[in-house]
Amino acid sequence: MSSHAEYMPGPASGAQMRRKEGENWTLILVRELHHSPERVWLALTDPVHLREWAPFDADGNLGTVGNTVKLTTVGAPKPHVTETTVTRADAPKALEYNWGGNDMRWELEPFGDGTRLTLWTSINRHFIAMGAAGWHICFDVLDHLLADDPIGRRVGPETMKFPGFQRLHAEYAKQFGVQMPKW
Amino acid sequence: MKIKLTSVYVDDQDKALRFYTDILGFAKRADFSQGPYRWLTVASSEEPDGTQLQLALNNNPAAKTYQQAMFQQNQPAAMFFTDDVKGDYERIKARGAEFTMPPTAVTGSTIAMLKDSCGNLIQLTQLARW
Repeated sequence: MSSHAEYMPGPASGAQMRRKEGENWTLILVRELHHSPERVWLALTDPVHLREWAPFDADGNLGTVGNTVKLTTVGAPKPHVTETTVTRADAPKALEYNWGGNDMRWELEPFGDGTRLTLWTSINRHFIAMGAAGWHICFDVLDHLLADDPIGRRVGPETMKFPGFQRLHAEYAKQFGVQMPKW
Repeated sequence: MKIKLTSVYVDDQDKALRFYTDILGFAKRADFSQGPYRWLTVASSEEPDGTQLQLALNNNPAAKTYQQAMFQQNQPAAMFFTDDVKGDYERIKARGAEFTMPPTAVTGSTIAMLKDSCGNLIQLTQLARW
């Protein structure tokens, strides 16, 4: 099976964006996973699972409305921790919370033997293509994790140096018709 | 060990980037984001590989309180050195920045103070030559 070193993301797909007033636009990501909504739900809410694929660590379970959880951005050049309160948790269908000011809405629909997972997230418009590329890779890692073939979490600045990331970033920027940030 | 980075808190990173580049004349060095986090730095155009200044969002209560207290006490959040404080004062003022102190001789240097439009006072310092 694919190893950590061999992994290369596929082409950009399954992402849309909605322009909005202000700095934050909405990024919509859809991914079909070959696993049941119950398994996907666990991976989205349980801190032990999140640590294997998500761009943040959680110090508590995200699966209960009203739970207050600290989210630590992984790989930030300085420690970055924000606190969230879960506002919706209809297992295994819908999950809503806020990550450091960015609304996060997850929907899980049965799809054949698996799950169609949709994420709506508000994101700074300058980084919408970067966010799409980052989540694309996170979803690949999640898919491998659920298949018991983990390739290891890929988040933070190290991921951005990975050639597959820059290619995906450029592809999403082209699809969205936005500029990539220059640095 | 080397000192390669220092930080100021800002209340708006886009506004800060415009101020520190378009008005002060620094150059963007790093700008990337993961979720809510944005790592944004600038450096002097005269010294692109020199110390970077991080423009950090003040989105936590400790940062906001610190920033406001420093501002109220007239304390600069950062100090930049120049060989021509009067020239910089005229140039930066012409671009719309608000100075709270024009170039003023003090012991060993001439200093000026301005608002960065993002919640901070910035001091410009020209060391005296003997």
